[in-house]
Amino acid sequence: MSRILRSREALVLLLLIVLVAIIGFINPNFVKSRSLLSILNSSLILVLVSIGEMFVIITRGIDVSVGAIVGLSAVILGTSLNAGVPLAAAIVLTLLTGLLAGSVNSVGIVFFKVPPIIMTLGTLGIYRGSMLLITGGSWIETIPPSIKSMNGWTVLGVRGFIWFTLIIVIVTAILMRRLKIARYFYAVGDNEEGAYVLGIPVKATIFAAYALAGLFAGAAAVLFVSQIGFVPMQTGNGLELKAIAAVVLGGVNLTGGVGSPISAVIGAVFLTAIDSMLVFLKVPGYWNNAFGGAILLAAVYVDYRVRKTIEARQRQVRTQVRASTATDVTPHSAIKEA
Amino acid sequence: MKTLLKRIGLWELSLAILLVVEILVLGAINPTFLNLENLLFATSDFTHILLAALPLTLVIITGGIDISGVSIMGLASITLGLAWVAGVNIFAALILALIAGLLAGGFNGAFIANTDVPPLVVTLGSLFMFAGIATGLPGILDKLGFTAYGAAGFSAYLYEGITGLPRSFTSLAHGSVGLLPYPILIVFIFALILSVILRRTRFGRSLYLIGVNVDAARYSGVPVKAVIVAAYMLSGFGAALAGVVLTSYVTSSRSDLGSEALLPIITAVVLGGTDIMGGSGTVWGTLLAGLVIGFLRQGLLAMGVTSDVVPIVVGGLLVVSVALKLGFASFNQYRLNRRALRNREPGEGGAPST
Repeated sequence: MSRILRSREALVLLLLIVLVAIIGFINPNFVKSRSLLSILNSSLILVLVSIGEMFVIITRGIDVSVGAIVGLSAVILGTSLNAGVPLAAAIVLTLLTGLLAGSVNSVGIVFFKVPPIIMTLGTLGIYRGSMLLITGGSWIETIPPSIKSMNGWTVLGVRGFIWFTLIIVIVTAILMRRLKIARYFYAVGDNEEGAYVLGIPVKATIFAAYALAGLFAGAAAVLFVSQIGFVPMQTGNGLELKAIAAVVLGGVNLTGGVGSPISAVIGAVFLTAIDSMLVFLKVPGYWNNAFGGAILLAAVYVDYRVRKTIEARQRQVRTQVRASTATDVTPHSAIKEA
Repeated sequence: MKTLLKRIGLWELSLAILLVVEILVLGAINPTFLNLENLLFATSDFTHILLAALPLTLVIITGGIDISGVSIMGLASITLGLAWVAGVNIFAALILALIAGLLAGGFNGAFIANTDVPPLVVTLGSLFMFAGIATGLPGILDKLGFTAYGAAGFSAYLYEGITGLPRSFTSLAHGSVGLLPYPILIVFIFALILSVILRRTRFGRSLYLIGVNVDAARYSGVPVKAVIVAAYMLSGFGAALAGVVLTSYVTSSRSDLGSEALLPIITAVVLGGTDIMGGSGTVWGTLLAGLVIGFLRQGLLAMGVTSDVVPIVVGGLLVVSVALKLGFASFNQYRLNRRALRNREPGEGGAPST
């Protein structure tokens, strides 16, 4: 029981299931597969950005520029498609944009030792400004239908993007568990100096984390353009904060070394599901943020209480053991008891 | 000169020089910029950034961070508007808005002081929560039978916020003492008070101690929890004050006031020389850096640069200034090491000469 309670993923997943059940009880339409699938579908962008953010947070960093990277990559995709670049090439270009933007963060953080929050806050402004500069501040409204049609693909009645994201999640989850170099992220986040002493390439690992965050943001941009069909200037605005909230909600610890892609996914789906739940409860949409924030705070608070309780119990057990071994020092009494 | 330098600090002096150079350069490009009156009145466009950044300095000195200030601005603004619509005297409404800021900051502080949850996570959660409350509050009051959306009704509220605030209030941000507009005067007074608190009081000094080593602070009898709560309350108060001043300046109460200000606010504190890891920083540094950023923005806009370029410049400034500072620090270290080595050479290998 305590092991289940100790894992935040389980706690949040349980809460999500309970909430879905309650809403389903109030409004049965909510638990129909169509509305559940539509929640999944609308969470995909946040899921991808959150997985990218997860790499960074596991290494004990923070990246507040991912939302701006989504915006910049989406603009690159839109303008390159409109300039006649073939679809596949444009998507590759978009992913490269994300990767490059993430790598710029890496360079500042790894080589110039700028604190991550400063570096990414700075590039947040730079990327968002560049995005506006490229388009001259106007929305990209006409996008070739080739990319929009991608959103229509279905396999077994489920949208291709859901399958695509599912595969990415499963693959990253397995790699993060099994791959030796993937464990470097955890080692660096848990104890950077220790990792260095063990011969782990700390700099390369941190570099990879921010580059991956950028790459995933680029992938999210592809989904965004395909799903929405145009690129407004607010694209990705505030997405970085949502992604951090999702990742933390799912149980990735901001102090590094803890978390998995599964936690990022659970957190992201949870935050998106809240929006839909409020719709089904006929709560006006502008309350979404208040509930999202309150649930994030509640989750980290419950997590804190649970951790403290478990620690206190372990300490109690330890003192009891010590007390009993102390009495064991007098062998006669022990023998008598036996 | 040396004692003066020690009093002001090298970083603050560099910022002051940077500010003067900046104004001169912008003035050379556009002479209207050099008019003192224009210069002072231009500050009203960014005083909210200064008001929020000044007390945030105190929070960052403790090694914390508060990103919820941008939401507290909107929350304070909407509190003021709603209280006024509900029939409260406008100045009582102003006080209510400031109290809302204190409470919001107190919530952050109490959460952070009583748990080990990182301040970034707590204020991220409350950033969403306060913003949500600010957008949702008018709806609740409307259900309760108040005309919460102002005189012009709901659709007008969506575009303009709560308008029609009394002139006695809206004229505040546009008034001045001689050449000094009220908003920047409030900034100077606030900075002075915070600086005295930071330099002369036990509370102020314990902020630094907590930032350097929280355990040492606890063992030396600093009431860590109370100090942290107070720091975040001040930060909430500053954000609310910023919201109130901005409300008066734009003459309408909106829930999304200041939502774009996060980047310049944190840039002002960090460019001002406060270490993001805590333990060092000054209020005057933040003030000077905020002025540098604010005038830079005004100057760029006056030069006809589109406002899109401004975040690029501010972001670049943030990154480059920190990188340079770190570079100088490590260069200095290197120089000192070299000097120490050179001084050791005569007695090398032998026993200490004395």
